[in-house]
Amino acid sequence: MTLRSIFEPDSIAVVGASASPGKWGNSILKNLLNDGFEGEVYPVNPRENEIMGRTCYPSVLDIPGPVDLAVIAVPSSLVFSVTEECGKKGITGIIMITAGFSETGNEGQQLEKQLIEIVERYGMRLIGPNSLGVVNSAIRMNASIISRLPNPGSISFITQSGTLGLALADWTMEMGLGLHIVVSTGNKANIDDVDLLEYLDEDLHTKVIAMYVEGINRGKEFMNVAKRISKPILTVKSGRTERGSKAVFSHTGSLAGSDEVYSAAFKQAGIIRVENIDDLFDSALALSVQPAPRGKRVGIVSNGGGASIIASDACERMGLDIPDLQPDSRKTIKDLVSGFASARNPVDTAGLASYDVYNGIVRQMLLDPNIDAMIVIYVHTVMWDASVPARAIVDIHRSTCSKPVIACWMGGAGTEKGEDILKKGGLPNYPVPERAVKALASLVKHHGFLKNIKERI
Amino acid sequence: MMEEVVWERLRDANIPVLPMKQASTATEAVDAAKELGYPVAMKILSPDISHKSDVGGVVLGLASDGDVETAFHAMMERVKSQVPDAGIEGVVIQKMAEPGLEVIVGAKRDPQFGHVIMFGLGGIFVEICRDVSFRVTPVDREMARQMILEIKGSPILKGARGRTAVDMEVIIDVITGLSRMLEKYPGIVELDINPLVMYPGGAFAVDARILED
Repeated sequence: MTLRSIFEPDSIAVVGASASPGKWGNSILKNLLNDGFEGEVYPVNPRENEIMGRTCYPSVLDIPGPVDLAVIAVPSSLVFSVTEECGKKGITGIIMITAGFSETGNEGQQLEKQLIEIVERYGMRLIGPNSLGVVNSAIRMNASIISRLPNPGSISFITQSGTLGLALADWTMEMGLGLHIVVSTGNKANIDDVDLLEYLDEDLHTKVIAMYVEGINRGKEFMNVAKRISKPILTVKSGRTERGSKAVFSHTGSLAGSDEVYSAAFKQAGIIRVENIDDLFDSALALSVQPAPRGKRVGIVSNGGGASIIASDACERMGLDIPDLQPDSRKTIKDLVSGFASARNPVDTAGLASYDVYNGIVRQMLLDPNIDAMIVIYVHTVMWDASVPARAIVDIHRSTCSKPVIACWMGGAGTEKGEDILKKGGLPNYPVPERAVKALASLVKHHGFLKNIKERI
Repeated sequence: MMEEVVWERLRDANIPVLPMKQASTATEAVDAAKELGYPVAMKILSPDISHKSDVGGVVLGLASDGDVETAFHAMMERVKSQVPDAGIEGVVIQKMAEPGLEVIVGAKRDPQFGHVIMFGLGGIFVEICRDVSFRVTPVDREMARQMILEIKGSPILKGARGRTAVDMEVIIDVITGLSRMLEKYPGIVELDINPLVMYPGGAFAVDARILED
């Protein structure tokens, strides 16, 4: 069964809606109403007549119209009865915010089993329990405790940690990143990562899937689904330091800790594993707006030698090549810059940051058959206007190009206008070369996966 | 799992194992050694003993009939005094492995992803540098090749610094054979082939252990 009733509902009941600030049932109802969800929203709570100006129903069974999705945030003692009522009402999707299930131990595990029995009996699908909600920014649905609706975008984010994940969703707004679906999976008692990957693969808005993973339940199925998906999948997996088993039956047993196994499984399934949360969203940004390069030969241009050396070093560490340019490229570049500049890759303009210099050099390097991808660095000085080189590369990128271009506008204050132009022009921009290179490395990795794993299917 | 069963499993999977024969008396041991060719190793054969060397159940480098006979009696006495309750079926006479490049091929069953195969260079490379690579099964020839090339020490296999290059196809055979074996025996929890000794154009599994549930 499709998960549309959960991610694209026309109508939502908030079961356990509350007028008291600080309660989940209050935040979620408020978020749905304030963030402007486009469908119907029905508060449900037998002790209230009206919440936030809306009629409050004693039970979902009292709601006059059809309901697709119930977001349940009631005390755990009431979970079974309200879930049962959802089934009777014909509701097909549930987001279970209520906690106190398998995450608490054996007793909770039994309760979770009973809950899933009810859900399956009525043919419903359930996110959670112990979820902190779901967001679909395209229909302005904030059925979560995220304090504001993320900017619309093409990155969808699956998070196993509720609070951390939602804080991250909030943080992406600071970064100016757009998210489409955000889902806090909770205990994954019914809908798990396999189901979510399948849904997001078919979802037309989602171009990149980012995941924060603590553990995967159906390992083999997960790998098989991921292998079939050509959209980039990025993962941060926590628990990296966990060692292999202490018992020393075999060397393999002590060396094959769960983390090594996850790394192997991700690689085999064409999933890009990144080190940390910054990398996750940096890479997601690049993958959401830039094409995958055909190879790993990087061209670098900068108006300062230091930054381009840092970028070159980072490329080397990440296994990316900095090839020589073709002689005609070198000649064209030489004609554009002064005698002090280096027309070799990495190209150093020796301070120049005019429109013609950046436009001409980057254009020539993109045409060079030795180059698969570009990192364009601008180090801000008061002599130049940061928006000019930004415009210069956005213009080329618009007119040409199937090769990815990653920007790195360094210098903070004074570069904002340039950063804005880059963003509107679809060029991912990072404040330091290392982050730009890491993001590019993810693009390269994804291309490798497309070629070696996904196309072999 | 008893060593002899382990060897049987490996042979079934077309993994080359060191030539060996069982013997229950000193005379049988000498006959086995003569057939295999000296030097040989002698190992205690007992379903109750897994760490053979801990109880004096392993002797290496026996070079003559006399050596073998003396070693047999000495080993029986030693092991019986160390573990009086162990049932002893005799010994295994194994041809001594000639020196070669040692690699390790292993497997483990992961609760989420099923069997995983590990490859690495033997000795200090695996124990200290942890220079190993992993793949979730099934592992085909191309994947096996990638996991061999992935370890940092892979230039050594290709013959770095004047060494003879090993035949990579032989390791690939072992890894893919192991992958098929794991599919056949889902009960295998852990497995080590350590070392697999590489010779020009071939290899022998010299030591191996399997834990099954």
